[in-house]
Order: sequence, then structure tokens, then C-alpha cells
Amino acid sequence: MDQKVATHMLQSLPKPGLGLGLRNVHFDHILSTWPEVDWFEAISENFMDSGGRPRHVLDQVAERYPVALHGVSMSIGSTDPLNFNYLTKLKALADDTRAIWASDHLCWTGINGANSHDLLPLPLTEEALVHVIERVRIVQDHLERPLILENPSSYLTFKQSTLAEPEFFRHLGEETGCGFLLDVNNVFVSCFNAGESPAAYIEAFPCERVVQMHVAGHEDCGAHIIDTHDQPVRTEVWQLFQQAWTKTSGAATLLEWDGNIPDFAECHAELLKARGYMGDIPVDAARSVPQRSQAGSHSTPIDFLIPDAMDQTELVQP
Amino acid sequence: MTASGDQLKAVQHWMQNALIAPASSDPAATEQLIQQPETGNAAQRLAIYQRSYYDRLLTCMREQFPALCHALGRDLFDDFTLDYLREKPPESYTLYDLGRRFADHLAASRPDRDAQDADKENWIDFMINLAQFERQIFVMFDAPGNEGKAFADYETPDDRLELQPCFAICAYGFPVARYYHDVKAETDPSFPPAESSQYALVRNNFITRTLAITEPQHRFLKLMQSGASAPDALVQSASDYALDLGTVQANWAGLKQSWLELGFFIEKRA
Repeated sequence: MDQKVATHMLQSLPKPGLGLGLRNVHFDHILSTWPEVDWFEAISENFMDSGGRPRHVLDQVAERYPVALHGVSMSIGSTDPLNFNYLTKLKALADDTRAIWASDHLCWTGINGANSHDLLPLPLTEEALVHVIERVRIVQDHLERPLILENPSSYLTFKQSTLAEPEFFRHLGEETGCGFLLDVNNVFVSCFNAGESPAAYIEAFPCERVVQMHVAGHEDCGAHIIDTHDQPVRTEVWQLFQQAWTKTSGAATLLEWDGNIPDFAECHAELLKARGYMGDIPVDAARSVPQRSQAGSHSTPIDFLIPDAMDQTELVQP
Repeated sequence: MTASGDQLKAVQHWMQNALIAPASSDPAATEQLIQQPETGNAAQRLAIYQRSYYDRLLTCMREQFPALCHALGRDLFDDFTLDYLREKPPESYTLYDLGRRFADHLAASRPDRDAQDADKENWIDFMINLAQFERQIFVMFDAPGNEGKAFADYETPDDRLELQPCFAICAYGFPVARYYHDVKAETDPSFPPAESSQYALVRNNFITRTLAITEPQHRFLKLMQSGASAPDALVQSASDYALDLGTVQANWAGLKQSWLELGFFIEKRA
């Protein structure tokens, strides 16, 4: 896909407003109440092979709400070959659900056929940039839509990196026409861990290509921060969101809550706090107090992706 | 690939090895590749990824095998699972695949695998059976099914009956289904004695139901899975178990009704 074509398609994407991640634990509530949420984001890998209830639910949700797909396994930065079987399934899911876009992360998840199920950091070098540019072009050709890439949370910086992350994204967008998902919480986490300014990061980021933002909670471990998605969004992140909201001219915004997931109403209420940061003057929201580190907390929560299959079983008495 | 491309590959190779086999990672390489952070050190930052790698996969495995985790206790379950993950790192883009090879791994790595069958540890057989059953349940949760489509009814001629797509039969040496559902009911079941157990599993309205069946019924359904018609499968299974065919055919009407109610059958396409 030509860079200009991708950029043109990017500019015509909608701005659906405030959305929530579609989570298994909320399925019953959503199907029974059809809550007033602007849009939903579905984890691609949870639905692309589904012949059971998850796909049945997604199809119904997609009938009533705009749906975006968000992936965790494209592994756009890996030196393994791209998985075209995966890409074909992703395209089919995007077509079937009339997804407003399909996103993934600027990361790699494994090599030599393995998948760590983590979003691993890339060395931000010229050669990594060339590598990713080539793969984004291939993916966009296959998906027949611009790819939307998210900035990941990082806990380390490679010595060989020669590009700042916003600069890496800028070149990537200019060369491929792809769009971006700016995760404001990830900006906060990565910048804290790297000893950099999150406000300067947002200022340098190519926000004109941002079609979506993420907000989420994280865990402060003192010397570093872990992106746990298991608590309310911190005030500092909301303030960063306010800066990004202006810079992106109001990109679609989504709350991720993936660990200790509260009921739907609480998630929705947390999402709606965003309204207080969309104007010039922030609402005096209650200051979120983050939980301190608990032993065993880990990055990139994924256990929410596993459905409670046991709950959907019965033993038939003879 | 260019020389610079090889550099990227080398970094990824190093980091993946550091995750899968943290004990073998070279501290000097870590210092050489990772920027010293303002607080802490490079090894501590790498350790966030290393710790998270196994932690998150263990959490997912516990959720895919809740009854086995109960049976073994969390510590022993984690030990077996860590061994599995080290031996067979995940390969698929989907976490649903994570436990696919677990039962086979348990069978292949059992300490008494070279012993005579009679000398093998009974509890290991149970754990393997339970892992197989839980995997089957997990697969059926999201397999293609017949929801939203027509099922066969009592008026459907026997020779037009076909098993629905989300259906399985299995046989074990232990009553694993009863154990599994006792765990679900939080009754803290104890290790059951060996007992030949056959089950039919069927999903209807997105609920996977398990029904204990007899050996001849297992044979009958197995024949139908292989493509035999219900009347032919009745004759064959009665013959295989030396049962009186007239009695079997007389009992079939009631059996058919109960299995239809559970959603076993759809009507064959013309």
C-alpha cells in the first residue's frame, strides 16, 4: 500500500469518542443492558479463531457499536518471518466486524517460532526502523488498510538505540503512512523508567497520525513503574492525556483495565473521567492514589485473555 | 538479511534466551546491551521481563487447568508447568494453545515412564487423565458449534442423524468429570480410585455438558463419529459387546430422546 494511500485512508478514519475494552467478565452485562458506550475495542487473538461464545458476543456487539481490533501477537519487530496465516485471519475478522481499524504494538513477541506473549522492546536503531518499515508495508498490503501501531511500555533501554521513540514513530509514519495508537499510560511508564520527560515525549510524538489513545492504571514500584492495568488511572496520566487530547485533536480514547477487573459500571465511570480533561480546564477529579508494589506483579497482564471455561460447564446427572 | 539486520536478530536471540533460561543469561552481556538506569541496574530491569514471562504463563495455565491445579496443589502444579514451559515454550499467537501439549508432556516426562504398567504410579495416571479432560473442556468452550442452527428432533429418521460439530467422546481410567465438577462446586474432592469412565461432551447454547456413558454407548458414538449411520452403529456396537440386538433397539428410543434433548444430533444434509 502506497504511503499516500495509507495516509489518505488514515485521515478518513472516524473519531468514535470514549470506548472500553471488551472483556469476558463484562459479556453478560453488555448483552443484557447495551450500555451507552461510544465504542469497544476487542483483542484480535481472542476472536479470530473463536467458534464459541466470544465470537457470538463480538458479532452482536459489532452490530450495535463501532469496534476496533487490538492485537498482541503480530510481532511487527521480530526477525522471524511474518505469519501470513495470522494476518489472513486478522483481515477476515476485521472485515466481518467492520472494524474501524486494527492495531498492534511496536514490539516483538518472539523469534525462532516461539511466542513469549510479552510485548518486548526493540532497539531503536536505523536498521530496526528499516526492518519495521518493510514489514508494516507488507502488513498494510495484506490487510488493505493502514496499520495502527501503539507505543509499548518499556522497562529497559538498549545501549545501541540511536533514535528517540517519538522520532522512530515519526519516520515510520512518514515512510509507510501507518497510524498510531498513543498509549498515554505507556508514555508515562516508559519515560519514568528511562528517566525522561513524558510531556516532552508527547510534544515530540507525531500526533497528527494518532487515531486512538489508551489510558490505564499502573503500579509504582519505587525505582520503576510496571504497566499493570489493574487500578484506576493516575492523575498524572490524566494530565498527560489532557496534553495528548489537544495535540491529537481529540483522538478516540479507550480505557484498558485488565487485572482485578471491576464491574462494568466502575470501568465506565473511570473512562468518563476523561471528559474532565478534554476541555481547557480540568475537572477537579479525585486524585487517584496508586497501589504500591505487591510481590509478584508483572508487566503486560494477559490472564484476562483466558476465559473461565469451567463456568460454562455442567455435569449431566444420569 | 544485512549485517545490521543480523544485529537485531542477535539482540532478540539474546533477550529471548534470557527470558526462557534466565539462569544461563550472562551478566556481562546484560551490562553491555542495556543502558544503566538512573535507579537500580540493568540486570534488575531485565529481571522485570524475566519474572513476568513465567509468572504470566503460569497464571494462564492455572486458569486453563483449574481442577488439575487443585489436585496437585499450586506449588506442585507450578513445578510441573514450569518444566513444561521450559521444555515446550509457547509457539502460537493465541494463548488458547498454551495447554495443548501439557497432557502429552506429563505423560512423556513421568518418572516411571519406563516401568511396567502394573508398576506405574496410579496418581500420575489420574493427573494425566485430568489434564486431558480439562484440555477437552477448554477446546470445546470456543470450538465451532451448532448454536443458532437447527438440531435434529424426534421426527428425524435415525438414518438422517448426525453428531453435531461441538461434540466429543472420551474414555479414562478415572472418574475425572466427577472430580472436575466437584472442584467447580468447591467441595474439595479427594483423589478418586481408578474406575473406567467414558464420557460424551456436547456444547449447546454455549454450555459444555458432560454425560457419563457406558462402554457400548461409547462404541456406538465412536462409530457415528466415523461416519456410520445410527442404525448401523447400533447393530455393530451390540455385536461388539455381545448384546441382544432386540433389547438394544428397544432401548434406543429412550436414549435417542435424552440425547436429542442434550443436543447431540443434527440432521444430515440431503
